[in-house]
Amino acid sequence: MTGRKIFILITAGLLAVSAVWCVYLAMRPAGEEIVISQDGKELYRIDLSRTPYRTIEVEYKGRKNVIEIKDGEVRMTHADCPDHICIETGKLRPDTPIVCLPNRLVIEYAGGGLDGTAR
Amino acid sequence: MRKTTLLSTALICLAMLSSCGDKPEVPAGDPNTKSSGSVFAMDTYMTVTAYGDDREAGVSAATEEMTRLEKLWSVTDEQSEIYAVNHAGGGSTAVSGETAELLEFALDMHEATGGALDISLYPVLRAWGFTTGEYRVPDEEEIASLLEKTGAEKISLGDNTVTLPEDMEIDLGAVAKGCAGDKAVAALKEQGVECAILDLGGNIQTLGETKPDGTKWKIGIRDPYGEGSAATLETGEGAVITSGGYERYFEQDGKVYKHILDPKTGRPAESGLASATAIGDEGRYCDALSTSLYVLGAEGAEELWRKRGDFDMVLICEDGSFVITEGIEQSFQLTVPAELKVLRK
Repeated sequence: MTGRKIFILITAGLLAVSAVWCVYLAMRPAGEEIVISQDGKELYRIDLSRTPYRTIEVEYKGRKNVIEIKDGEVRMTHADCPDHICIETGKLRPDTPIVCLPNRLVIEYAGGGLDGTAR
Repeated sequence: MRKTTLLSTALICLAMLSSCGDKPEVPAGDPNTKSSGSVFAMDTYMTVTAYGDDREAGVSAATEEMTRLEKLWSVTDEQSEIYAVNHAGGGSTAVSGETAELLEFALDMHEATGGALDISLYPVLRAWGFTTGEYRVPDEEEIASLLEKTGAEKISLGDNTVTLPEDMEIDLGAVAKGCAGDKAVAALKEQGVECAILDLGGNIQTLGETKPDGTKWKIGIRDPYGEGSAATLETGEGAVITSGGYERYFEQDGKVYKHILDPKTGRPAESGLASATAIGDEGRYCDALSTSLYVLGAEGAEELWRKRGDFDMVLICEDGSFVITEGIEQSFQLTVPAELKVLRK
């Protein structure tokens, strides 16, 4: 085997690896990252695949919300508001944000394959 | 020779790696660049995403417009025109041209839908607790006496004045968001934006027949029974608006009570539909339609569609089957296994 052939093999190998890398990046499932924002301001951006368990407390005008991330699921577990609609929403779905209107808090997936979801 | 090849190989690999990155650097002036803004208004969370050079001015104009309209049409804000109408004690109230126009539209839709859309249901909605979150089931007697205080046909419109019988209350909840969407789209256009998408608490409205990359807008329709969307729709400019009982409901003694009331009974509509989606050009029209179609049920909805013929719809029935109209047959796709019926004229 000549040096030239080895070189071509290495080149082909490198190209193949980079192609696989590209496909991996492009195919990586969307919607793994969630964004928690208050009054339109982003507070947290969390990669769910790297967060097996975490609770987050957010305050608004003396009122408190508690968000729980567990095994890739996100839900509001506590809210100092009268209606508790955000808690009743249950776990965060890709198409519907969890919204606590009184406390101006929104939890949603970042990105996704759709431009919007009518609901 | 070898060095050149090595160098070019390395360069190609680098280029491939960087071009595949998650967040590619976009040069200024790229039509695909977008800006988003959000606002809490009309009891929901609204977002605007606009493309192109004028996107930022467009987003702020659109969000300002929605905040302005909420102040005009809120039921609870003591400064709003609707509040003034509701508290006039039976007298006439002067309102702006915009409010008069929306009221007239809502009254027309009341007639067109055989009463399925009624903007005077607020007292009944409050008795059920859907306006406060303090849910309860009112008894027959209470509902009957509250229904006497409803009926959109009793609202009379003059030259920018509204007269409402005492004890009656107007709530524009079923049309305000859609109309605000239309006006936000107009505000975006005025700033020079040609391409934008609005999500007004689940009402989707688009500006532009395609996205800047030339593809249609891809809109999901929420699955009432599972996660994510039950179907997708590729649309041009217009509105895709869904009403469903899953948005707000409560359970008492093992029975589920959903927030969309049938104006005839004063009780949650039980028409056999899990959700109704209206697709058309105008936000306020689709907003009014989605509520009406949900209340009317599959048969009534089909009848209305045949009569008017200027919208398309997706009905998700409680048995899990779908009914769509022929106008969207090519752009509609189920994402869950289900029975699908296409209505043709």
